[in-house]
Amino acid sequence: MPKDQTQQQQAFEPGISDNVATIDSILGASVDVQKREFMLCGNPDRSGVLYFLDGMADSQAIDGILRALVVLGNELNLDPASLSSADAIRTRLMYNASAKPCDKVADGVIGVASGDTLVLVDGIPEGILVSTRGWKDRGIEEPSTENNVRGPRDGFTESIRSNTAHIRRRIKDPLLRFDAMIVGTRTKTDINIAYIEDIVKEGLVDEVKRRLAKIKIDAILESGYVEELIEDAPLSPFNTVQSTERPDKVAAALLEGRVAIFVDNTPVVLIVPTYFWQFMQAPDDYYDRYWVGSFFRFVRYVAFFISLLLPSLYVMLVSFHSEMIPTKLALTIASGREVVPFPVFLEALMMELAFELMREAGLRMPKPIGQAVSIVGSLIIGQAAVQAGLVSPFMVIVVAITGISSFAIPSYSSSLAIRLCRFPILVASGLFGLLGFATMFFALLLHALSIRSFGESYLAPASPYHHSDQRDMLLRLPIWMLDKRPQFAQNRQRSGDRQMPHPPQPTKGEE
Amino acid sequence: MRRILCLLAALTLLTMCVSCIGQRQINELALVTAVGIENGDKPGTIKLSVQMIRPADARGQTGSPSGGTGQPIYSAQAEGETIFDAIRELGRFVSRRVYWAHNFLIVMNEDYARRGIADMIDFFTRNHELRMNTWVAVTSDSPAELISTITGLEVVPGQAVDNLFKDNRIAGQAPSSNMMNLEEAFLSRSAEPVLARLELVSRGISNKKPLEHGSIKQVELAGAAAFKGEAMVGWVTPAETRGLLFFTERLESGIEVVGCPNNGNKLSLEFRDAKLKIKPSYRNQQAQFQVALHTNADIVESGCETNLAKICQDVERALEDRLKGKIESLLRKARRQYHSDFLKLGDVFRNKYPEEWRKIGDDWNSVFSEAQVDVAVSAKINSVVLKSVGSVK
Repeated sequence: MPKDQTQQQQAFEPGISDNVATIDSILGASVDVQKREFMLCGNPDRSGVLYFLDGMADSQAIDGILRALVVLGNELNLDPASLSSADAIRTRLMYNASAKPCDKVADGVIGVASGDTLVLVDGIPEGILVSTRGWKDRGIEEPSTENNVRGPRDGFTESIRSNTAHIRRRIKDPLLRFDAMIVGTRTKTDINIAYIEDIVKEGLVDEVKRRLAKIKIDAILESGYVEELIEDAPLSPFNTVQSTERPDKVAAALLEGRVAIFVDNTPVVLIVPTYFWQFMQAPDDYYDRYWVGSFFRFVRYVAFFISLLLPSLYVMLVSFHSEMIPTKLALTIASGREVVPFPVFLEALMMELAFELMREAGLRMPKPIGQAVSIVGSLIIGQAAVQAGLVSPFMVIVVAITGISSFAIPSYSSSLAIRLCRFPILVASGLFGLLGFATMFFALLLHALSIRSFGESYLAPASPYHHSDQRDMLLRLPIWMLDKRPQFAQNRQRSGDRQMPHPPQPTKGEE
Repeated sequence: MRRILCLLAALTLLTMCVSCIGQRQINELALVTAVGIENGDKPGTIKLSVQMIRPADARGQTGSPSGGTGQPIYSAQAEGETIFDAIRELGRFVSRRVYWAHNFLIVMNEDYARRGIADMIDFFTRNHELRMNTWVAVTSDSPAELISTITGLEVVPGQAVDNLFKDNRIAGQAPSSNMMNLEEAFLSRSAEPVLARLELVSRGISNKKPLEHGSIKQVELAGAAAFKGEAMVGWVTPAETRGLLFFTERLESGIEVVGCPNNGNKLSLEFRDAKLKIKPSYRNQQAQFQVALHTNADIVESGCETNLAKICQDVERALEDRLKGKIESLLRKARRQYHSDFLKLGDVFRNKYPEEWRKIGDDWNSVFSEAQVDVAVSAKINSVVLKSVGSVK
């Protein structure tokens, strides 16, 4: 066992010099580690030390601690000798909102590392950990990856505490729980597991905790690390954990009996269990009226199929099954391809790669240059390549529609998954025609049917079929008909009977 | 892990070995849109005329300039001992793979049709590449000339004939005969095939020389060719075909012109909701049919300068006589002249009398020729457009 860890396991000594030596050896000589000596109630017999990290701790709060420790005892005429335990100091002197005694060196050091202030007083074999975390945060902004037209504009930030507060503000139910865990041997990243105690799927919280506890890794820098370490189908191209930056999405998921996993230092929150269909659903579906919501949800399903299948369908039809194209269309396609020197499969691959290239370049470049990249790219591909006879105009249309469709899928991470799945289908249909297309499509379908997300079938409620959950899958039925939570929730009834509004009925004789 | 990697590598290598087997890029195909069949110059041979599309010229400029502002179609002829032999012959000079799935039309010469079309039906239904909704027709002209005649409106002649067939019900003077119902009638014992007739008629007017009226030949769809077994037995006139369509295609509407009862002028009638009822019976070893046609009619154009309400009944009688005449002349032709049941009355009889059919089915055409067929037509003009004002001088 390394020296540090043995030291950390030990408890605080009564003598302050021993404690200071231990902590100094653990924290080392970092510039941001601040050590502030003081005398309790100004009494030279009772010296003490404050440990905190510059930049992590709020200096005004530390001023307050010092004022309490040094000055307040005298003002209250307290006998310094009576302050003989950490608890006494905490309760009689200090006026900070959060202060707790700690008796292990390890706890104290971790507290200091996370921005708290450790108070040590000579003669007391305990430390007091005062919460003084206060660093500069990014302001709350609308999440740029998940835009909507109607609905709240706030998004999560990098601070876990303000993130959980977003949820608390939305769900004032006392049964809303946040359970804390720390993952990452070096980063010691805070993780909070949010759920509503009487709704959440039975056993789900324990399962999430079990999986999180199994993680042995040095660092968690983003919730993506957690996602990959707890997901059910690690080899699958599909993501079985939903990730979002929107508090309203998380709140809605909690109210459906799901569990949200907050990770510190990232605005992205994970939601489990996840159905595939959730990636096709946007908050707007619920905020706009149900006609609109259902229609645009349908449009998104169309977009999903287009972005997954359209290039493969086109390649398959044009290079193998010309008889399946209506004659007039066949003639138009044939005339467009008259001078194209490549087989249509190669043409499709080239154009798809060119599109991905443009997307990636536009994303990585600084914003002003990114626009230039997309303009130049689209000019080259849309105009010049066709004029030069390198690609047919139909292929440009197919690739463009495919690209636009993949942007119409609300969840960015799952649109990436679909984009990846497109290529195996494209290759199969380019090599084997309809046979390859069907085989690869069904292989993907069977795979999606076989995987699970925290005990729930990935394609539920379509398969296995849950009747009452259909109301919010392909279509979004009116809110007054969505009276049930998903079938895995503990308490399924979510609204009263006959919630459909209607004008007041005129009673007889009133007219 | 190693085994899985080996498997994946093997699969990847395998996909490279397939080299896109069976791949036929659409621009490497010669799409056939019409085919003509006639007897070859040597006895016992078949001459095939094939109309193929040149997509770049048939569709104008899409994409990059591809040169060539020539003809939208390329027609070629090949001879062989069988149809397939002739098709293979095409491969010797057609630079692209001849592709049949988009074929619109099969047109046969009269001589070929009279000799027998069994080989044609067999070939065009056996090959999986060919569609069953291809139109089939007979012509007395040269099929080669017919399929390569460019029509005024469509770029591709095959497509023009396709449109003619599709709008066929408006004129109502030719059967919509495609491969499917040809084969159906050919294989059936209780019906004989009947195919549409295509003709080249000078109809088009040249834009540059409008005075030379009708200088351009156009394809016309009118009349039908009756078959007995696999061989054609004779033509059916367009007027008789109108009668035939009541039997084979449940024709509901059409235009008939009758003379005015009061003066020598003409009156046009549009009959609608026509319903043909056939009632078969079997007595004394004799098949009998009672054919009853009920129809409503509208007067769409009137030259009779009188109150139409007065002559309404006479007009009804005239229409009845006219329709009845057409049906009877068709029946006469089928029974007395061709001895072929292309009206598909045998189907009706077989459905009603399956037991009796077993006895006489083999000799149905002669039974049909001797059967008694009574035709009754009733027409009713119930239109409110019996206006008297304006038509009375």
